[in-house]
Amino acid sequence: MPDPKPLAGIRVVDLGWLTAGAASSTLLHDLGAAVVKIEGPNALDPFRDWVGAEAATDWWNHSPFYNFTNRGKRSVCLDLKDPRGAAVLLRILEGADVLVENFRRGILAGFGLAPALLRQRFPRLIIVSISSQGEDGPDRDLVSFGSTLEGTSGLAALTGEAAGEPVITGRNINYPDQVVCLFAAGAVVAALMQRDATGDGAHLDLSQRELTSFLLGEELLAAAAGAPSARQGNRDATDPAQQVAVREDGLRAEWAGGSVPVRDAAALAHAADFTAGTAILRDPQGVPAKGLPFRFASNPPRIATGTNPLGCDNRAVLAEAGLSEAEISGLEQAGIIATRPRRGPAA
Amino acid sequence: MKQQPGPFAGRRVLDLSAHAAQVPHALAVAMAARLAADFGAEVVRPAAEGVDRLAKLPPLLPDGGSALARFLLAGRSNGEAGAFDAAIGDEVALAEVAAPLKVRISVFGAGDDPAMSELGLLGLSGMLAAVQPRQGVPVRLGGHQAPYAAGLSAFTALAAGLRAGRPDTVDVSLFDVACWLNWKAAASVLLLGDAAASREQRGGWHTLPAADGHVCLVYMAKDWPALRDMVGDARLSRTAFATQKARGQNLDALDDILRPWFAARSRAEITAAAQARRIPIGPVLSPAELLADRQYAARHFLTSDGAPRLPLLVDGARPDWRRQADKELPADA
Repeated sequence: MPDPKPLAGIRVVDLGWLTAGAASSTLLHDLGAAVVKIEGPNALDPFRDWVGAEAATDWWNHSPFYNFTNRGKRSVCLDLKDPRGAAVLLRILEGADVLVENFRRGILAGFGLAPALLRQRFPRLIIVSISSQGEDGPDRDLVSFGSTLEGTSGLAALTGEAAGEPVITGRNINYPDQVVCLFAAGAVVAALMQRDATGDGAHLDLSQRELTSFLLGEELLAAAAGAPSARQGNRDATDPAQQVAVREDGLRAEWAGGSVPVRDAAALAHAADFTAGTAILRDPQGVPAKGLPFRFASNPPRIATGTNPLGCDNRAVLAEAGLSEAEISGLEQAGIIATRPRRGPAA
Repeated sequence: MKQQPGPFAGRRVLDLSAHAAQVPHALAVAMAARLAADFGAEVVRPAAEGVDRLAKLPPLLPDGGSALARFLLAGRSNGEAGAFDAAIGDEVALAEVAAPLKVRISVFGAGDDPAMSELGLLGLSGMLAAVQPRQGVPVRLGGHQAPYAAGLSAFTALAAGLRAGRPDTVDVSLFDVACWLNWKAAASVLLLGDAAASREQRGGWHTLPAADGHVCLVYMAKDWPALRDMVGDARLSRTAFATQKARGQNLDALDDILRPWFAARSRAEITAAAQARRIPIGPVLSPAELLADRQYAARHFLTSDGAPRLPLLVDGARPDWRRQADKELPADA
């Protein structure tokens, strides 16, 4: 029998989209929290039709990347743009410990759910706002994807050959979206520890751009001291043998102590060490799903449940929040809660 | 303003980065330990028995010191050895210490820890292949992204283990973390099939030269009409560029049309024009330029010597949770 997980008993309301928000909540789930994902009938997580969402009868429940990322969460479909929907969210938050969101700045406030108001109303709540630039500052409203932030954080300037152009990871990685999850989950756990000690919640404001620059901290220090680094391709000043070379069996990453193949996606997916690892696991139905970036001896990594259909937990979650059957039925009839979106998949 | 004690206040963490047998492990351990210090733990880093490799790693400062050591080893205590709540290190180093919580860094997992470089981790995990210039071989991400990301994972595991408050061991695999970051590559193959995965990889995002540097050409299908109109070249209305798939297939032709428009304008002009149309294009900025960045200045992200503060605001303020006793020590002491 595994030990209780570190976040057993913690309830998370997940308004997160795509990777940065939603995968942060998934990590909290992996650490033992119960997560309720809330989307709107007009505001689905864009992963629901990112790729592979065939325009079948319920395409929104069959998005490979959405289901991959959002396993283990209960699903509520609630229209926050309607004041009645926002009021329901407040009822749900009465029983929550953590709220995760990565909307465009100002969206939450537009629903009447500004973090400052939520902090006043729910002093023990930990609100996690993950954004490109942070909650404030002159550039907070700039539009970006993760790879835009590779440019503005300094990472792209240091990636690529010295004589070539700077290089970004692109659509498949969007690097700042990935690393922020690893840090955000830890920051939430730390805030819960703080709350354990003081009783006070917090509003955590995480800028993905700042985190990406933080991961180049030594380069900022060197630049400030007048000794900035240049792009250096695959070279390593401490290992002249390091390079990527074309060999008979394909590209290899080589260094003084050894060499390994440069794997593409297919080679990675079929590699024995990858299959034996924890980055991708399988749900009880055998479907591949997002894995874990760590292994607790007390709780070996596994995926206990798959992904719930959109809105399938509407009734249960709202009843737990204290709404009556009549209130829930009224919300259903008004379309404030739903089990299908109001639009078709993106072309 | 007086700061509250940090979330890890009162916790003692043993940083075994100086005793790690391999550099990637040492970097990951040190990143996790640095964050533990930033969150208020007392972090003790016993000196290396021989040469401390982290203390010598580039980039080097004009005074000969390592900027990496100054950044990564900040906040360590000169406290005595003794009882610790947690220890972070590689398998061999951890075997020699007693701590209720151990965070163990390896390549593939405990007992499976071959010689490995950072470049090797990127190569094996597919992260290297994903960073592909328009010409030439794939290139590694700048800095030390694979071990630092593992350090973030180790930090989160450390926090969770400390909160759980019972003896435990957490394994953080450098390889698994890199694969976890690169999940979309493998997931595309496993969920969509090899052919679909190949299509998915062609996003067409890359950098383009501007008059004073480069910008990141990043856009989704929905942004295409705005991008086309911003550049204003009639050729962009051809069917060869009508869909995301077609643009992916005609990337070089598309670039040939876009390049002159971008090359004739500064990064600021391009960014302003794109942002006015809500296209997520932004400039490539160097670390030196970031020192004067208005957003970072407004949020007090960098210290006067360029060191990044904790990338987190709590209730609108950047926390300063490091133990007072540790603030006076030189970071690379």
